Amino acid sequence: MGMTAVEKILAEASGAASLKAGEIVYPEPQIVVVHDFLIPPSKRELDALGITRLFDPDRVIIVTDHAVLYSSRQEAAFGKIIRQAVADWGIKQFYDVGQGGHGHIFLAERGIVRPGMFLFDNDRHCTNHGAYGAFALRTGAEITRVLATGTLWTMVPKTIRMAITGTLQPGVFARDIGLRMATDLRYGGACGVDIDYRVLELTGSALEQFSLDARVALCSSPTEARAVGVFIPPSEEMLTEIRAAARGPFMPVYSDPDAAFEAELEMDISGIGPQVALTGASDKGVDISHIEGTPIHHAFIGSCGSGKYEDLVIAAAVLKGNRVAPGVRFFITPGTEDTTKRLHEEGLSEIFHAAGAILLPAGCGPCFMGNMAPVYEGEVSVSTASTNPLGRMGEKGCELFLASPATVAASAVSGRVTDPRSIDALVKKTEEEPL
Amino acid sequence: MNDFKWCLTGRCYRLGHDVPHAGAVIPVRFVAGRNVNPEELIPYLFHEIDPGFHEGAQAGDIIVTGRNFGMGPKMNGYIAMQALGLGLVCESMPFLAYRAAVGCGLRVLTDCADVTKYVETGDELEVDFSTGDFINHSRGLRRQFSPLPETLREIVALGGNAGWLKHWWETRRKEAS
Repeated sequence: MGMTAVEKILAEASGAASLKAGEIVYPEPQIVVVHDFLIPPSKRELDALGITRLFDPDRVIIVTDHAVLYSSRQEAAFGKIIRQAVADWGIKQFYDVGQGGHGHIFLAERGIVRPGMFLFDNDRHCTNHGAYGAFALRTGAEITRVLATGTLWTMVPKTIRMAITGTLQPGVFARDIGLRMATDLRYGGACGVDIDYRVLELTGSALEQFSLDARVALCSSPTEARAVGVFIPPSEEMLTEIRAAARGPFMPVYSDPDAAFEAELEMDISGIGPQVALTGASDKGVDISHIEGTPIHHAFIGSCGSGKYEDLVIAAAVLKGNRVAPGVRFFITPGTEDTTKRLHEEGLSEIFHAAGAILLPAGCGPCFMGNMAPVYEGEVSVSTASTNPLGRMGEKGCELFLASPATVAASAVSGRVTDPRSIDALVKKTEEEPL
Repeated sequence: MNDFKWCLTGRCYRLGHDVPHAGAVIPVRFVAGRNVNPEELIPYLFHEIDPGFHEGAQAGDIIVTGRNFGMGPKMNGYIAMQALGLGLVCESMPFLAYRAAVGCGLRVLTDCADVTKYVETGDELEVDFSTGDFINHSRGLRRQFSPLPETLREIVALGGNAGWLKHWWETRRKEAS
């Protein structure tokens, strides 16, 4: 019996000739990523035990993405603790405020995360790296054990394979497809599978319609439906793009033809229109017609789910020559500092500014508990945040709708939840050159 | 670890399917407030579905649940169960809930198919978490489930993730000296 791609990656990291789902292993990561907000509690825990040396400081990367602006004195104090930890632990790869952006995005963009790699990351949306053919595993607070010992008990996950077929319709984007996937894959959902702690491997020639940036957007929402990973086997075209940025050698990994998949599913994307996830979870997706016309107060594009350059190109196509509606505040958070630079160079930030949208620093933006640009009681927000449980972006009495960058931008302009297919310029652009 | 008590004998407390962690196992405010103090958590264990649960609970009692118990990766409720000396046997748990329970040092079994069909609240149970041997003395039933994997028993026996890390570090220091 062959192995799935993720079984192969874990076998390589564990020094095992072969592995199968359900086994418990202790894989050695090529890198370990810790996001800013988990540094203070991790430092406190390790200091209390007297553990002052990490397993290998050169393999640990600390990123600053959750709290970039220091919107409170507490966050400024956290920043001080983070820099102290960097000094005490001898971390060389520390991306401070303004130096990298979102850890789930810039590490792959800059070629640090590459196909076939295995890494630990404290945050579950490290599943983004599956768009590059890497496998990253969320540790939560158990990152302290990884920092001290270099590994963590890991149950090899089962893989469910989903073949993508059909053609993406104009005005419909990867994030719409991701929201639909999450909704169909959720516990008790239409797919009839249990996605909990499964890797979702996407396959099929229809994937060729999705650029690398779009593939990252595909990875976001299934994570919220409890997938432990989303794995997209890198095509030759993707590898060419990845090689151009790669900061080291890599070997892409693919599932064997006779690998054991727990289930084989198919999704025809031809009939999928713009989706909106209702307040509560990314897997509560409905067709936009269900809530079209609902007045909004807050709009936001960004987060690890939709902070890639292409996501912002989509937003710019809608915003060009338009103004954000009165009574709506609209925030744009690029995923990375490199993307912010490109927005300035290519004139997109000018379009955003002319439309009345506010450009925030690269990172998580309002998606991290609304610690910047929050939503207030009674307000309605439509955003590309990675998730939307009650109170996620501020007060609990808010509606937090999730949608594609196109839907968010179209809604910000009209002041109501708006089907982006009604924006002629956007439809024309996607027909000419699919995004 | 050899002295750790893997076999619990006590009364059954039976729950159904889809019991969430926040809002059923423990009130949401303790989860949101990241309260990990067992003394503060214990009075509120199952408070919202069974006020006063903790007053009748005794060390060795075993919570038996249906499918999808304890959604979410949070530990608060398992901290209270562990501190009370309870065991947990589930038809299924989301993986991160299972991981959180192990990380708290809780004696836990999951993927115990149909286990809620074999018990009622108040039954006298005997469960060996190291072998998966499950006995309902009140009904004369015996079932075999998958045990807690050996590598995870080390974590549970040392009191959870924090205890394991402390033990690892002390052992390393002793070896170095």
